[in-house]
Amino acid sequence: MVIAQCKQLIKIYPGAHDFRALDEVSLSIQQGEFVSIMGPSGCGKSTLLNILGLLDEPTGGEYLLNNVPTAKLNDARRTELRRNQIGFIFQSFNLMPRLSVLENIALPMRYSDMPRADILPRARELAVRVGLEKKLYSTPLQLSGGQCQRVACARSLANNPSIILADEPTGNLDSKASADILDLLQELNKNGMTIIMVTHDPKIAAGTHRTIHMKDGKIL
Amino acid sequence: MRLPDLMATGWAEIWAHKMRSFLSFFAIAIGIATFFYTLSVLSQSYRRIGRTAEVAGKGRVETRTNHPLTVVQYKDLKERLPAGSSLAFTSDDYNVQEGWWNSLYHKGNQLVGATVYGILPSFKESDFVYRLEGRFINWQDVENKHRVIVLTVFPREVKKSKRRFWWDDVDEHIQKVKEYSEHHHLLHQQVVLNNQTFTVVGILHLPTENEDVRLSRNREWRPTLYIPYTTWYDLYPDENDKRPVDIRVVTGKESTAHTAGGTLTSYLRSQFGPNEKPEIEFFHEKIEERLKEARKSLNNMLFMGIIAMIAGGIGIMNVTMAVIFSRTKEIGIRRALGASRKDILFQFVVEAMLLGLCGAIAGMILGYLAVLHLAEDTSQMTFSWWVVAGSILIALVTSFLFALYPAWQAAKLKPVEALKNE
Repeated sequence: MVIAQCKQLIKIYPGAHDFRALDEVSLSIQQGEFVSIMGPSGCGKSTLLNILGLLDEPTGGEYLLNNVPTAKLNDARRTELRRNQIGFIFQSFNLMPRLSVLENIALPMRYSDMPRADILPRARELAVRVGLEKKLYSTPLQLSGGQCQRVACARSLANNPSIILADEPTGNLDSKASADILDLLQELNKNGMTIIMVTHDPKIAAGTHRTIHMKDGKIL
Repeated sequence: MRLPDLMATGWAEIWAHKMRSFLSFFAIAIGIATFFYTLSVLSQSYRRIGRTAEVAGKGRVETRTNHPLTVVQYKDLKERLPAGSSLAFTSDDYNVQEGWWNSLYHKGNQLVGATVYGILPSFKESDFVYRLEGRFINWQDVENKHRVIVLTVFPREVKKSKRRFWWDDVDEHIQKVKEYSEHHHLLHQQVVLNNQTFTVVGILHLPTENEDVRLSRNREWRPTLYIPYTTWYDLYPDENDKRPVDIRVVTGKESTAHTAGGTLTSYLRSQFGPNEKPEIEFFHEKIEERLKEARKSLNNMLFMGIIAMIAGGIGIMNVTMAVIFSRTKEIGIRRALGASRKDILFQFVVEAMLLGLCGAIAGMILGYLAVLHLAEDTSQMTFSWWVVAGSILIALVTSFLFALYPAWQAAKLKPVEALKNE
């Protein structure tokens, strides 16, 4: 089953010289796939990921998430889809520095309709799942980079998304921590999670089902 | 996001930046202090003026004539007034010894240093704020010109003025009289007044200065003695027969006050000729004047409060804008994690309103201290909940209004652009 489908996606950043970040990109992601996107800086990987994550809108073409065309959705509907269907993992973790591990994991649930009483137990469950049961009340400043990225992985799962978008999740980590995160993502994928990951590291890309190479806004 | 979560987030931010938060709610606190003070004093003034009007009676009219009126004229005039009216004559004052600064002292049984009024029993029907011991002057006393005295004494608690002003001397004087009243219980005793022997039949205990709600109360610098109206004119005759009389009518209804005023004028003219031009004072006009004065002075305070609140609001707006600028990335992250525009808007509005609440609490403490130390009369100042609720509401509404624009700007940010911000 196709979970995410792009048809002729175009993204132009207007300016004195319009910059074509995506140039008629078409792409299909099957449910349960683990896909990596590689390419040099400025090739449009992150732009593609932002559009897939409904953080950005394409200039042209069409993007269907779970067969829902997203082009004409208003901001509220896009937010709802993003909240319920998409989990994000960022290169720089993007954790809330003042919140504990538990509260960071719980944050996406705070924006959902989940009953308040269910939020912390589920956050705890997710923390255990990524191996942070002993760091529940630590703040991000007290954690290593690898641990921070684990928190981010747990957070991305909070609202049971159908797809995880990871933007260079190992970019800020040493090789050991990178391998651990890859292991974690592979494990999530084995349990049925669809993952799209942007990476620069061919070793990490090698651990995925399929690698998409991009250059100058096009898929090679 | 639910309200408790929004409040927890907002509070964490305020706590993390204590100094900035304090500075931003400081102006709000000043504004709220002004409002709190103004509202407290205003409500106290209204309560006091309300009680003054109550004690004075409805439809009260006062005038003064330079011709002594007789008891026969009293009865004649009373019949002409609207039904149910109370009528009272009070003679001119007579100072037993010149100069208010002279203490009342007791020389044998000679009363010196007091003011003597001649009154009718109807004196009791309006403005009566005393506690009576013994009996009051009655019609028999008036008709038979009895030599009886009703004496006023000062309350046990004489509040000392906190400030040192010229009237502190007077307070000291009152203190002496108070001691005198305590040590010389004069009820049923014989005293000498103007070489004539009188019997003290009643003692009127004055309320404390703060409890005294009479509008035209003269501070009783010295003890006041009341004797029957008729006795007074015998005791202090005037060669020219020109001792003035205060006339007071209380009709019981404001609507009949002007009728009573007209009756007074026409009656006095009928008795003393067309040249008699009594000045009629309507009490409800005086009360309105008082209220107007209270409102005017408090309007000035309120104006200052509004200026402070606007300054406070701008402070809140400024800090909210700065906060949003420094937390743009956080807004992006929250949007990526599923926060809607409404969530972002509420987050900053709630944070600003919490700042406003802090300002309200600090302001009320300041205002309360101001009430305790600056207000002239704190006797009937009560800590009323509506003033507290009003102050909090004003602070919340101000911070809400001023935070709305920056918060809306934050909510409008595109997630992808906010995320790029470092």
